[in-house]
Amino acid sequence: MSSYVIRRSLQAIPLLIGISIVIFLMLQMTPGGPLASSEGGGGRATAERTERLRAEFGLDDPLPVQYLNWAGGIVTGDWGTSYNTGRPVLDTITDRLPTTLLLTGLAFLIALLIALPVGIRAATRQYSAFDYASSGLSFVGVSTPSFWFGLMLLYVFSFQLGWLPSSGLEDLRQAHVGLAAVWDRLSHLIMPVAVLALIATAQLTRYVRGSMLEVLHEDYVRTARGNGLPERNVIVRHAFRNAAIPVVTIAVLMIPELFLGAVITESIFAIPGMGRLFIDSADLRDYPVLLGILTIAALLVVVTNLLADLLYGLLDPRISYA
Amino acid sequence: MPDHPDGDPPGDDPATEIVLRAPARSLWSDAWRQFRRHRLALAGLGVLVLLTAAVALGPLILGTDPQEIDFDAADEGPSLGHLMGTDELGRDQFVRLLVGGRLTLTVASAAVLFSIVVGLLVGALAGYAGGFVDNALMRLVDVFYSLPGLFVVILLVTLFGAGFWTIVIAIAVFSWMNTARLVRASYLSLKEKEYIEAARTIGVGNIQIALRHILPNALTPVIVSATLGIASAILIESALSFLGLGFQPPQASWGAMLNQSQSAVINQGHWWRGFFPGMMIFLTVLAVNYVGDGLRDALDPRKTQR
Repeated sequence: MSSYVIRRSLQAIPLLIGISIVIFLMLQMTPGGPLASSEGGGGRATAERTERLRAEFGLDDPLPVQYLNWAGGIVTGDWGTSYNTGRPVLDTITDRLPTTLLLTGLAFLIALLIALPVGIRAATRQYSAFDYASSGLSFVGVSTPSFWFGLMLLYVFSFQLGWLPSSGLEDLRQAHVGLAAVWDRLSHLIMPVAVLALIATAQLTRYVRGSMLEVLHEDYVRTARGNGLPERNVIVRHAFRNAAIPVVTIAVLMIPELFLGAVITESIFAIPGMGRLFIDSADLRDYPVLLGILTIAALLVVVTNLLADLLYGLLDPRISYA
Repeated sequence: MPDHPDGDPPGDDPATEIVLRAPARSLWSDAWRQFRRHRLALAGLGVLVLLTAAVALGPLILGTDPQEIDFDAADEGPSLGHLMGTDELGRDQFVRLLVGGRLTLTVASAAVLFSIVVGLLVGALAGYAGGFVDNALMRLVDVFYSLPGLFVVILLVTLFGAGFWTIVIAIAVFSWMNTARLVRASYLSLKEKEYIEAARTIGVGNIQIALRHILPNALTPVIVSATLGIASAILIESALSFLGLGFQPPQASWGAMLNQSQSAVINQGHWWRGFFPGMMIFLTVLAVNYVGDGLRDALDPRKTQR
């Protein structure tokens, strides 16, 4: 197993190199290119200053040499400087990361908590009213534009009912203590998390139902029933444990999608996370920050893919990686 | 009856000649019979046809100018005069929605068309050439799969400006990979078939084989992925415009109309400004998803009941 882990992890390296080349090429396309990115000047430099800096920063070097320098910077944590604030890109991003991770994590949890019971129930009662309703709802969920859902939630719960705050992560007008502080935080999170979780919940419910249906026709499930085990036991211990294997993989692969969805959610609800940072940076044409966030998101995709593969091998004893 | 995963018309099968009463049916009439059974897919198709017609012809029939400003009728809710209400300039939302739909639907269709062309080229080349070319191209597909689509689309649009073609190409650049993988898989299996060998022995050239003999049979799986691609292209364009990074006024796709409606909905409670454009996106995407689902069932050779 451990040799498989190492081998599979090594396979990610060429992929990472490919991704870094594409990102490097996009960096070359930005106005001012890597020079402006490390100067924080945003193209205001004079001609001779540019000339001097070009030599200093090695921009007259051949492209492969420049690529190696840049990639070395990424590995050692030098991700350039924000045009807008002059701060290092990596610091700017890591400041915002916890908020986005909180949203993503909560949405992931909610999606699992809803999708597992609903998907299992729909599968065990195939063609029942419950099955049709949940299948219909998951189609609706997958097709709902999250920004529209968010906007309508805001209209109902903030404008009409006044129950939930419309923006931010905490009440800025006054400080709360005790239970009030907990509710303050919660009330700010309910709608963003609901919006973020919607599509993931719908997709996951369909997967859970599908993989449960496949397993329920297996011989071992019939055997378990034939042995007179209680139905609950058959479903949970015998069927679901096997159906869970592909579900875990799909669930892990959904994490980067949730992370991407945070762009929209944070933008609707004015939450100061990484997604909001991305949109603000796009408005300001702050390319170093944009490419930095892009790099983080791409890393997340590669890591979750790796994780999904490894988990699959770990959970399914039929697969051996000797 | 044996499967026909390669799309051979069933009429060519010797088995059908023995059963005298079985009429010859083409793959497409078979698919249509199957598709009709999926009631929701059929409804979805109906909605799409209606929607396309409304978007294409509606503004001409209504004769209302989508840019016509009428301050006397500003910020009105839905009524018989203005089915979907008006905005702060008194512009009729219904007509604006129909005109905006043209933009949304053309962008999505153009993006999907582009992505199919790229996916076909890459997939066919990889599958037909095999070896090193195949390996290199598939690693390229992996790289593009790993780049977060929406982020890159936003980056490309900020770099090159939010014009019609920039948006189309930005979306297409990050949606061709699925097609490429499907086409490659078809080419890999089809190029080993006897009929290709037969073509080769009578001296048909490589390009001729790849284009005339394999391509038509490799298209079937692409159809489903292209249909579903329209849904995701609509969602990406809408998200982009909703974030204020896509189409700029006076151009208004459905997403852009949602973007402009935000403060009216949240602060003034003019729900119709946001409800209807989002509803159009939702309905279109839902219809496309159901049609895709129906097509998947209809074109899946394992599911065909004759």
